[in-house]
Amino acid sequence: MKRAAPRSTLRRIIKTHKPQLRLATNADLLVHLNFLLFLHRLAEEARTNAFENKSKIIKSEHTVAAAKVILKKSRG
Amino acid sequence: MLSFVKSLVCIGRVEMQLPDLVPEETSIATFRITKKRKKLSISEFERAADKRLPQNQAQSTLDSTALARSLRLSLGSLIPPDTVEKRGLLRRPKNRKAIDMEAFEGGVEQNMLKRKAQNYLVDSETASGIPTAMLASDAEIMLSNTELFVQPQFDEQSHNKLSALEPQLSDSKTSAQTSKISDAAQEDEGGTRRYSADLILDHEHVDGMTHVSPKPPANQQEDKQDHSPQSNPMEQLSVSEEVVVGTAEHHASAGYSEHLEEKLTKKAKSPITTVEDARVKTEMAPSEEEGIAEGSVEHQGSPEAEREIAKGVGAGSLGRHSHAFSSSEKSGMEPLKEAIEQADELEDQVITVELDGLEEEPTVNETEDPESEELSMKTPTFVRAAAYKPLLSTPRPVKPASPKSPMQPLRAKPIPKSSGATRRKTSKPEVASSLIKKIFSHYVKMPVARDAYKIVEKCCERYFKQLSSDLEAYTSHAGRKTVEMADLEVLMRRQGLVTDKMPLHVLIERYLPLEYRKLLIPVAVSGNKVFPCK
Repeated sequence: MKRAAPRSTLRRIIKTHKPQLRLATNADLLVHLNFLLFLHRLAEEARTNAFENKSKIIKSEHTVAAAKVILKKSRG
Repeated sequence: MLSFVKSLVCIGRVEMQLPDLVPEETSIATFRITKKRKKLSISEFERAADKRLPQNQAQSTLDSTALARSLRLSLGSLIPPDTVEKRGLLRRPKNRKAIDMEAFEGGVEQNMLKRKAQNYLVDSETASGIPTAMLASDAEIMLSNTELFVQPQFDEQSHNKLSALEPQLSDSKTSAQTSKISDAAQEDEGGTRRYSADLILDHEHVDGMTHVSPKPPANQQEDKQDHSPQSNPMEQLSVSEEVVVGTAEHHASAGYSEHLEEKLTKKAKSPITTVEDARVKTEMAPSEEEGIAEGSVEHQGSPEAEREIAKGVGAGSLGRHSHAFSSSEKSGMEPLKEAIEQADELEDQVITVELDGLEEEPTVNETEDPESEELSMKTPTFVRAAAYKPLLSTPRPVKPASPKSPMQPLRAKPIPKSSGATRRKTSKPEVASSLIKKIFSHYVKMPVARDAYKIVEKCCERYFKQLSSDLEAYTSHAGRKTVEMADLEVLMRRQGLVTDKMPLHVLIERYLPLEYRKLLIPVAVSGNKVFPCK
């Protein structure tokens, strides 16, 4: 059960980072899509780390390690 | 042809038969084997058992029939198979009983002491106009019940208890301590047994500590001995405190020291408490110094320290510390806390020392006790309560309620007043954390620790930074100023999300809700239209 994409929030975030940059209509939906995919990959990686650690809960260490990898991957 | 076929068939049959036979044999064999095994198991087992245990030989000879054997076996399963099994399987904990009994007796004594202490405390509060009337406030009444750890009052009972407990603990250390304790234990009353028991445990610790540096702290103490003539035990206490402080730097938690204060204050309840208070105060003075110096280190507030305190040893020292502190300095909560912390650390040592110092008569400022108590009543008491046996739990949680009120007005001031509806979105827009949590937990399909969410949020912020810079690079490369769908597609391709096998539309359809898909993917609608228009 997913909620609506926070379109205005996304716009505001990008605006804060890059004020001169503009966004096309519905482009933020693709940004949201990208965000979802990023979280998805992060979740998968974290889950893999937790499995390797034989723990049934995602702990911060797993997440940190996963974040490092995925952030590097999503640099483009 | 036919013959050929027949031969083939025959071969096939043979071939078929062979495999059939094999499985058949195996199946049959297994069948038989199992049967055989069944039959053999009992007899074999018996034989083996007989061989190994000559005890059963008589039985085996008597009961030779299979029925008897089977019956015996079946019955034997009900009976603990000590006889049949090897000696290695014999029950081990035969030795445990001795210890259990002792512990049990100790527990019984503690209960008795507790009751006595309670009675004593009630009597003491009502009958004698103990200067510790301050302490004898509600908190005291509340605390009086939970003497287990707080009151290091050493009565004869405690003395007895200590002696009783001595055999359990290391003799060398405890003996030295008990001697100290016996001196101090004269005046105290019940409830100290438990404390003594804890003390004994702590004493083991403390002994090593106390003996280490008896002298240097003495100097410090002399300086600070304001209230009453400092006896050696006091000095020792302070010394021990210092030693403990030095060694137990890692413990240092304000709550720890506070808790000690509580304990000390609780001690004060009994008529001896006055003496203790004086001592505590004097002790606190030196401990303060130490505390201040090490306060930074100590304030790390490890639960370990609190547990140590929970042993009840520190309570006495804590109370003393609090008193000493309050008497010498009323500068603020912090130094008191620090002192408390030190007191906690020095609990073991202090308790031993305190026992000695109980004989003295301090000029305790009762008024300060409640404050110290309050201070000590902070979280460490809670933690201690949890660590302590359930007996102590009740009085402690009640106390923290009272000290909170005086603390709050102090806290209210330093907090800057932020305007009611903090306008955070403008300063730093962030994606709703709840949304992130939902999405992440949905994708991960596993329980997630709370700390992990914070990491995810941080990660998201960084991701957005990267994203915006990448998009800007792509748009500028295309000579535009507005980010378009194409730019985003390029980004996803470079990230490896969109491949030749996985076009963008598929991803859109998968991940985005229907409304968005309609907006993004051009759909041909009736009337020769395409929506959204390209």
